[in-house]
Amino acid sequence: MNSQHPLWQNLFRPKDDRISEVTEMWMSTPLFEKIPEKQCRELVKTMHPRHYKKAEKVFSSGEIGTSVVLIRNGGVEIKAAEKLLAELTPGDFFGEVALILDEPRTADAIATEDSELIFFLRSDLEEWVKRSPGSGAQFMLNIAIVLAARLRHTNILLSLQNS
Amino acid sequence: MIQLIFNHPLGRTVSIFSLICSIILLLAILLSPLLVPIILSFALYALLEPLSEILERQGFSRSASSLSVLLVLVCAAALAFSVLLPHLAKQLSALQTQLPSVWLSITEIGNNVSQHLLKSLGLDINSSDIAQHFFTQANEWGTTALIEGSNILISLTILLVLVPIITFFLIRDYHSFRNYMLDKLPNSNFEMGWLIYHRVAHQLQEYIRGIMIQSGIMCIMTSIGFYIIGLDSPFLLGATAGVLNLIPYIGPLLAMVLPILLALNKVPVELWLIGAAISVIVIAQLIDSMIVIPSVVANAVNLHPLIVIIGIIVFGNLFGFIGMVVATPTLATANIIYRGLYQGIKTSCDLNTEPAAEH
Repeated sequence: MNSQHPLWQNLFRPKDDRISEVTEMWMSTPLFEKIPEKQCRELVKTMHPRHYKKAEKVFSSGEIGTSVVLIRNGGVEIKAAEKLLAELTPGDFFGEVALILDEPRTADAIATEDSELIFFLRSDLEEWVKRSPGSGAQFMLNIAIVLAARLRHTNILLSLQNS
Repeated sequence: MIQLIFNHPLGRTVSIFSLICSIILLLAILLSPLLVPIILSFALYALLEPLSEILERQGFSRSASSLSVLLVLVCAAALAFSVLLPHLAKQLSALQTQLPSVWLSITEIGNNVSQHLLKSLGLDINSSDIAQHFFTQANEWGTTALIEGSNILISLTILLVLVPIITFFLIRDYHSFRNYMLDKLPNSNFEMGWLIYHRVAHQLQEYIRGIMIQSGIMCIMTSIGFYIIGLDSPFLLGATAGVLNLIPYIGPLLAMVLPILLALNKVPVELWLIGAAISVIVIAQLIDSMIVIPSVVANAVNLHPLIVIIGIIVFGNLFGFIGMVVATPTLATANIIYRGLYQGIKTSCDLNTEPAAEH
């Protein structure tokens, strides 16, 4: 029996192209820096892909947020008080504050085209941190770095506006 | 009017919550013959799932890890039954032979009390009539128990076959089934759905693990206590106290009945033994309330005691003993779902009314 036959491959080795691709995308973000690929891959298996139509709201300001979102396909714009803050493309992520704070979202996210988004929920992160505290601590440090960088960027923008 | 109610966050929450409750109740009624194996399997799943996850992280497939965990469970159950069952059966038959003398002791106490009342207060209570009525009732219960005995044996066999099978499929497929169901939620409610699910799952898992550990500790403590005071069948009584401890508030009171009946067995009646039997339960309950519950079951449910007691009575009336056991976690789950729904719907309504208010 040829174990390489596609039928047997399908039966015993389900296709995991999506998982490999999403793992690669997450690994290239600052959130997963210094985290082993194997761990990231295991985590990706627990994430939730969702499909959005063009102009569909991903979330609104004031809604309860529980996840960070990675764009696999399509695009998303981030707005606050009708002001465009960012236009995001595949490989970008947003909403990472919800992984730390149990507070409502502070901006609107709208799909600019038909998009596939990958949701990484806070509850899954919490379980992973319990299971792998070392990698979990590294992930938290990475989030802190990302948030600090965004805060710094906002401060610079504000000071430029004032001056 | 209906539109008005549905537009209000509270009205919409109550409507959706009532719909969810109705579906769950309907399912519970439809599945009532299988309710016990399903609940037992979920309890075992909550206990064994972490073990299966550990094996999976070591490189086992989901099916292999589920099967391994199940094999461990079956072996442990077989070992426990082979060691404990003959001992428990021996104690049960000893208890059976003691029952007639227990009834005699009760009659003797009844006679003493009626004589005392006649002498001191002039009250004539015919204790033999009361005892006769009691014996007739006990005889009826005994006959019913004998008829029910064969049914219980069949149910037990079905339970022993069904529980491992359901548990295996729960460990193997529950996550996929859960993801499939929650992925059906619309994009706008997806995060809220997962948030509520995780809160419910976390609280239920904590509760089941906590209550099982608590019952085990209660069983050990009372068995040792009954053994020390010299009560017959201490391990059987301890096991009964452990199982009854699954029912909050009412369980500990029910757990006192059997030890008191056995303490009454001694002729002449030894009052100190009755006191000692009650003390064992009370001390075990105190240790349970002061040490075990705060460290093991604390915060697992956050409900008012009155709601819990009413829930136990209502669920017990609907689904019998198993209803009494599942009343507390069911009420806690309903509480989380209601709060989560209200929070999500209120936020959504506020967001929808904000632009209208601005215009």
